[in-house]
Amino acid sequence: MDENQSPPRNRMAIAILSLAGLFVAAYLLAHSLGLTGPLVCGIGECDTVQSSKWSHVGPIPVSAFGVVGYLALVATSLFGLQPAGRASRPVGVLLLSLAAVALACSAWLTYLEAFVIRAWCQWCVISAILVTCIFLAALPELKRLRARSDA
Amino acid sequence: MKKFYWILGAVAVIGIGAVGYSVGSNALGKAATEPVEVEGLDNMETLVAKAQGITKGDPDAPITIAEFSDFQCPGCGAFALTVKPQLELLYVQTGKAKFVYYDFPLTSIHPHTFLASRAGRCANDQGRFWEFLDVIFRNQSTWAAKPNVEGDFVDYAGQAGADKKTFEACLKSDAHADVISANMRLGYELGIEGTPTIMVSKGRGMARRLMSFDFESIQSVIESMLVEPVPPSGN
Repeated sequence: MDENQSPPRNRMAIAILSLAGLFVAAYLLAHSLGLTGPLVCGIGECDTVQSSKWSHVGPIPVSAFGVVGYLALVATSLFGLQPAGRASRPVGVLLLSLAAVALACSAWLTYLEAFVIRAWCQWCVISAILVTCIFLAALPELKRLRARSDA
Repeated sequence: MKKFYWILGAVAVIGIGAVGYSVGSNALGKAATEPVEVEGLDNMETLVAKAQGITKGDPDAPITIAEFSDFQCPGCGAFALTVKPQLELLYVQTGKAKFVYYDFPLTSIHPHTFLASRAGRCANDQGRFWEFLDVIFRNQSTWAAKPNVEGDFVDYAGQAGADKKTFEACLKSDAHADVISANMRLGYELGIEGTPTIMVSKGRGMARRLMSFDFESIQSVIESMLVEPVPPSGN
């Protein structure tokens, strides 16, 4: 892969999905900080999830970590679409790593919702779906990294 | 690549719009967040008629335990979660006493307290005051530090079993601001300066104000009043 190659489509997908996730996390963070009214929650019991002890890590809302994670994914994927970033090995490694960590965190939170809190928050479910799609979209990076190693 | 940026831009616009709207629409509008002027409160009869406590227990119980309280006051939270349940178990549930809650929001030091009092009254409209009181005091340290608490109060109302939409409409109005303002005035007329203030009375007899609000102090006053003869009515 060199700078003249067309921008990787999987990174476009990651950028779009991550940006959508960023707004979901930002909405939940704004709610945690008392900046919004009640959560819009057509499906599930968002209040139960958001007021559970699992909604914070110490004093920090879990959604704050989501905002940081999604921001990192947006920034990395956008850089990876630029001519200077397309051939960069660290960009591929970083995208894969971020997506894997996000998937692991999301899986843990989904487990908590299902088996510990026993309530679902539609926004957490949407975020989990987005993270899963982001991880799947990041998998081609693995192929590229291997191809580069073999070359 | 151009198409990609169009899609990304569209997601950004929708996202910023949605989050911005949820933050912007949180404005309390005409919600009363401070005491209001109520005519006629200089007249004691009008004041007593306007001021209204919220009662738990048998209205005909011989002993009345009245509390002047502030939802944002930590001492009131401690009282509500530790002392009040014991009083309820021993005296309210046995029909010996009734518990009457009066709002006394200390608005000069607690920015959310008047709205919290109104929230309590809005929950009371749906018969969920005492459940709401438990939830709001349990979560006091969470909401008291926030810049905006309306969303939290609606959540708490839901947890207390109230209909959230009805509650929210009430909270965003000026409902009950007059009663709470009258309760505050009644407290000032009674010389109350802090919260929680506990007053215990028997029948129509003189209320005894307690200097401390621990269970043992209140219990000893109630026990002594229970053995006293019922004071004659003032009629």
